[in-house]
Amino acid sequence: MRGLSFRASKGFLPLLVLILLIVSSRQSLAIPAFSRLYGTSCSTCHIDFPKLNDFGKAFKDAGFKFPKDDESMLKIPPVMLGAPANAELWPKAIWPGTIPGIPPIGLRMNNYFQYTGTSSGKFAALTPAGTLPPFVPTTDFETGFFSIFTAGNFGSDIAFWVDDDISVSGANAVGELGDGYLRFVNIGRLIKLPKNSLNFRVGQFELELPFTQARSIWISPYDIYTQANIGAMNSLVPLQQFVNNDFQMADVGKGVEFSGGLHTGGYNYSIAIIDQNTGPIGQDQNPGSPYIPQATGSNNGGVGVASNADFKDIYASFNYRFNLEHDKESREAIQAAGPTGPRDHTYLNFGTYYFYGRSVQRLLGATVDNTSSLVTAREPFYRVGGNMTFNYRCCLQFNALYMFGHDMNLLPIDSTGALIPLQNLSSAVPVGFIRSTPATFSGGFVDAEWLAYPWMYVMIRYDGVNSTADRINGLQTNPSFTGAPFNGPFSSTRNRITPGVQFLIHANIKASFEYQFRPSQTVVIATNPVTGLPMAFNPFHTNTAVAGLEWVY
Amino acid sequence: MTRSFLLTLSLIAAVAVTASAGTIEGTVSPGKSSVVYVDTIQGKTFPAPSQQPVMDQKGLMFSPHVMVVQVGTTVEFLNSDNVQHNVFWPSISGNKKLGHNLGTWPKGDKRPFKFDNVGVVSLLCNVHPEMAGYIVVSSTPYFAETDASGNYKIENVPDGKYNVVAWHEGMKPLTKSVDVSGTGKADFTLSK
Repeated sequence: MRGLSFRASKGFLPLLVLILLIVSSRQSLAIPAFSRLYGTSCSTCHIDFPKLNDFGKAFKDAGFKFPKDDESMLKIPPVMLGAPANAELWPKAIWPGTIPGIPPIGLRMNNYFQYTGTSSGKFAALTPAGTLPPFVPTTDFETGFFSIFTAGNFGSDIAFWVDDDISVSGANAVGELGDGYLRFVNIGRLIKLPKNSLNFRVGQFELELPFTQARSIWISPYDIYTQANIGAMNSLVPLQQFVNNDFQMADVGKGVEFSGGLHTGGYNYSIAIIDQNTGPIGQDQNPGSPYIPQATGSNNGGVGVASNADFKDIYASFNYRFNLEHDKESREAIQAAGPTGPRDHTYLNFGTYYFYGRSVQRLLGATVDNTSSLVTAREPFYRVGGNMTFNYRCCLQFNALYMFGHDMNLLPIDSTGALIPLQNLSSAVPVGFIRSTPATFSGGFVDAEWLAYPWMYVMIRYDGVNSTADRINGLQTNPSFTGAPFNGPFSSTRNRITPGVQFLIHANIKASFEYQFRPSQTVVIATNPVTGLPMAFNPFHTNTAVAGLEWVY
Repeated sequence: MTRSFLLTLSLIAAVAVTASAGTIEGTVSPGKSSVVYVDTIQGKTFPAPSQQPVMDQKGLMFSPHVMVVQVGTTVEFLNSDNVQHNVFWPSISGNKKLGHNLGTWPKGDKRPFKFDNVGVVSLLCNVHPEMAGYIVVSSTPYFAETDASGNYKIENVPDGKYNVVAWHEGMKPLTKSVDVSGTGKADFTLSK
């Protein structure tokens, strides 16, 4: 099966995966074009780019413009796409609109240096006899992204955003579109809803996660956001799961979103309906199919299709933020009025989120009367969790997120109703599925972020992802070990403590350093002669130091 | 008779004073937004003016960008923007003990501050680091700002010999000795 072989191949280059995780953690950034348009510094909207301060959140909520008196703040006035008097002809229309006075384009580049401890030579035992073991260099220079991004407002509360990685790791072939959307701000006014209660977004976008991965200040991605749910597939472990769900919360979605509320106080919500694509290789990777109608494969892009099923996944989040300033006027303002100047609010934010989708796996099988047929396992899954933030003024923030992942596990059966051993799936003829033990995982992170100086951020984070399936997949039960070796051998998986520090060399140049402490791991399991239980042999830690240098302009 | 005599005497005195109040003029390079003022005159003090000039924050800028006031002047700091601002200065002419933070106030409100120390005040906003403004606090009431061409004219300066200082943002101040006898002239070329 394609899925099985894909899983097998994933285990051979674990450190490559690690590096890719580090450098492929998409980080859409601040928009220097806004600095140019408004003649203002990055710190008007950012604490430590790309992390937004309260004003930056209000700017984004308003559709990438100042919440009040935007026109008077612009140093480069917009270009009218028609005389304002045109609006008198159709007073209820929003035609003709405006475009920014200069192309609102920003660029970003970053480089990394990585030090990987201990692992060199440790994984040799994983490779089958006669094959070369993987070599993991202790030190490595790595280019990150060269990205272009643009965003702004077309007037009439229509905002836009596009960011695209022109090259990743120095190879332009793997660059990709990040977010690309139009956002219609405050459309609720058309049906007389309260202000800011309804916005509409269409395009490709990161889900409204409680903590953005795309605009995180961390180099290291949030492990829970990159957790796929691959069921227990180790053929030598009795429990087998036919779950092959590559969906990750950090993935961008293609679809529409309804949202409302503000991120500077009170409630905010998001309801997104996006394409389902949970397979390891999406249908959009298969353009030119003769079965795709020309209407889709048009001459304006859109070649191929992006879904691998008719079902649309649904994401919903809700947050409520309590601003804790004593003074009511200050509490309700975008920024609090501190004794030495405006600053972010002291606030407490609680939130919850829920994602519901269906993972699809298709097999060549038969009907009960032995007619050849495509049999499809549609395995509903959900991700649910909560989040909390306590922010103290400008400088100190504590964040926490918990997630539980659950995938229905449908096991293939043959015409006799017997379970088909998954390792025999390629030679068997499935006719249907029966429900079995679901594949689940849980985890999250907690972090503390302290702005020690306006140019220095000190951070620490704990990531934990507990997946029984990952652990089973990672157990070395034969010489052709195929699991990810960064799992703790007997307990939870992918635990990590990451302290970090960042320095803003300039407002738009940042040096970052993070050190990832990983749990003890092993590639050799021995039997304890006393207890008779398996035990880790010669365990070690693979810790990683990453230094990043990035700039936007 | 006595009234007429006193009136005549007053007129003569007034003419005499006017005759001894001269001007200092010249040019400063670079031109616009330079400040020229008569430095401290030993043994001479001047009453603080009652006028309260306004330093505005509008469109994410200090307006005017440069202001010159006499020591003892109270300046009103106004926020005309619909965003919150702050005004602070880390020092006055490098003296960090004279640094001050005025805090936050909403649109339309003013916050006064009396400048009792001579020197150059670099105004900043701690949420918009690109914002910068300057208040030059002069110990005398004899000062002027240059026009777009760099010309200045300080009026009503009594005859005498003075140290005249020219200042421009980002440049080293320059002092020249000027004799005023009806008029005095001093041109300045400032450098970084």
